[in-house]
Amino acid sequence: MSSSRPVVLVIDDEAQIRRFLRAGFELEQMSVLEADNAADGIRTATLQPIDLMVVDLGLPDVDGAAIVERVRAWSTVPIIVLSVRASEQEKVRLLDLGADDYVVKPFGMAELLARSRAALRRQSRSADGDHLVQAGPLVVDLATRSVSVRGTKVQLSPKEYRLLQVLAQHAGNVVTHQHLLREVWGVTHVRDAHYLRIFIRKLRHKIEEEPTRPRILLTELGVGYRLAQGP
Amino acid sequence: MLKAVPPSKAWLPAATVAGAFASMGLPLFLVAVLTVALAALGRFANVDTVTTLYLIPVLVGALRGGVFAAVTTALVGLAVAAFFFYPPLYDFRVHSPVQIVDLVLFIIVAVVTGQLAANVRRAKLREQGEALREALIGSVSHELRTPLSTILGSASVLAQSPQIARDERLGPLVQGLREEAERLDGHIQNLIDASRISSEGIEPRSEWVDPADVVNAAVDRKRALLADRRVGIVVPEDLPLLRVDAALVERALGHLVENAAKYSPPGSPIEIAAGQDGAMVTFAVRDEGSGFAAEERDRIWERFYRSPRHGDIAGSGLGLWIARSLVEACGGRVEAFSAGGGRGATLSLHLPIPPPNDGKPDIPHEQ
Repeated sequence: MSSSRPVVLVIDDEAQIRRFLRAGFELEQMSVLEADNAADGIRTATLQPIDLMVVDLGLPDVDGAAIVERVRAWSTVPIIVLSVRASEQEKVRLLDLGADDYVVKPFGMAELLARSRAALRRQSRSADGDHLVQAGPLVVDLATRSVSVRGTKVQLSPKEYRLLQVLAQHAGNVVTHQHLLREVWGVTHVRDAHYLRIFIRKLRHKIEEEPTRPRILLTELGVGYRLAQGP
Repeated sequence: MLKAVPPSKAWLPAATVAGAFASMGLPLFLVAVLTVALAALGRFANVDTVTTLYLIPVLVGALRGGVFAAVTTALVGLAVAAFFFYPPLYDFRVHSPVQIVDLVLFIIVAVVTGQLAANVRRAKLREQGEALREALIGSVSHELRTPLSTILGSASVLAQSPQIARDERLGPLVQGLREEAERLDGHIQNLIDASRISSEGIEPRSEWVDPADVVNAAVDRKRALLADRRVGIVVPEDLPLLRVDAALVERALGHLVENAAKYSPPGSPIEIAAGQDGAMVTFAVRDEGSGFAAEERDRIWERFYRSPRHGDIAGSGLGLWIARSLVEACGGRVEAFSAGGGRGATLSLHLPIPPPNDGKPDIPHEQ
């Protein structure tokens, strides 16, 4: 982790897209490195300390999944994937391979920055041992396993807490259905998506003001769930 | 080659005829070679019974040019055979009934094989057409969305800048840029959906979905259109889960919302409700717009149908048709209701609730 200015490595073959990404990140006090192909990007990532990777799915030389796999072999650096809307399955595959989040082209910079900050925070949280996660009125204390909404303690069953815990550990970033099923129910239940929908409902009932219009525990249709991030 | 086709033969497309002529070079060449060979052989033996050899060029003609080339080759071949080999020699007239049978046989073989070959070729072309369409959709999606990403992204970076955000003339411009880019992206998605539907290329990927999530996602995607509306959202907490392609149903519902926003007065309320109706979960969008006449009830879901009352509102006539097609691909259906002109409309999607044990295990007990 570098000191004050986080370093973002942008890997995208479109010069125009790299240009606005650079401007957007620099306006937010981040430094930007660029690569227009996967080989150069991976080389840069091995030679320089970087805090975040933003990877386009449609690179000409290497499949996006290969980049995620190769980087994950030696690094936990957060990776955000830029994808087009047609590739839902591909998105889920990349997230399950270890990418931290995705944004769908065309996207607004605010959205990418929110995902990026969330991924950076998770990285720093694990480094600093920070155990409080806040999502709007919800506070999860990962150390004492206590959950409160607007200061009032909420009683959760062990499975409900486990579900919330996994989401809180990735607060602000999407967590796929598969990932949640594996973490909460174990590898033998990764196909039992029905459980997950039911438990998400129960959880929403306990933490959301309006469970059918959630503000804290958000759905990414076809992909997974995302805990809102920040106050 | 094209000049060989008299303009009066309009009943055959010029390209087909030209193609048939072009593909007849080889069969006619074979006829000539065969004739020379048989003529040479004829000096030593009686060859008038081996004229069925002329079927070879006919088959070649069928494979290369279809019925037209095959029949032409058959006629030429038989004429040559009659002239050179059937008595009386060097005369096109034929006398033996065997030769008449030959003639009929040749024509039948030519027509049948020509048609078979043409069918195979058409199937292959259709396959290539499908592949081409898919490739086009993919590349259009990429080619249009990449510049759009730059436009939207750049606008959003401009919006980040405090000077622009504070400026009351420039701020809204940047906001407009963003909204229009998103609208354009919606149009691109519609073209892709329309193209997929036309080629029956929709493949739903079913998964368990909470109907509330579908409503929220659709409303969220159309938030720009609903900005100046009072939007009522009614979703009961205990709706059964659905097993559908959530992305398709969300897009379908989005079209209903967009339709309501488009054809009702600015500022008028819109209600979006989910509910259970027997063995179906319904998603309904109600507006207080001009409604529609009873006879339009089914027509509004047709492709390119646009109500004559809305000539002044821009539209493609695709939205509701896409909605219907996406929902039908998920095993559901659509409905429309209006109390009459000027009294609003309710458009709804109906999706079947999956049977109790449809691949759904019991929920494991907590320890």
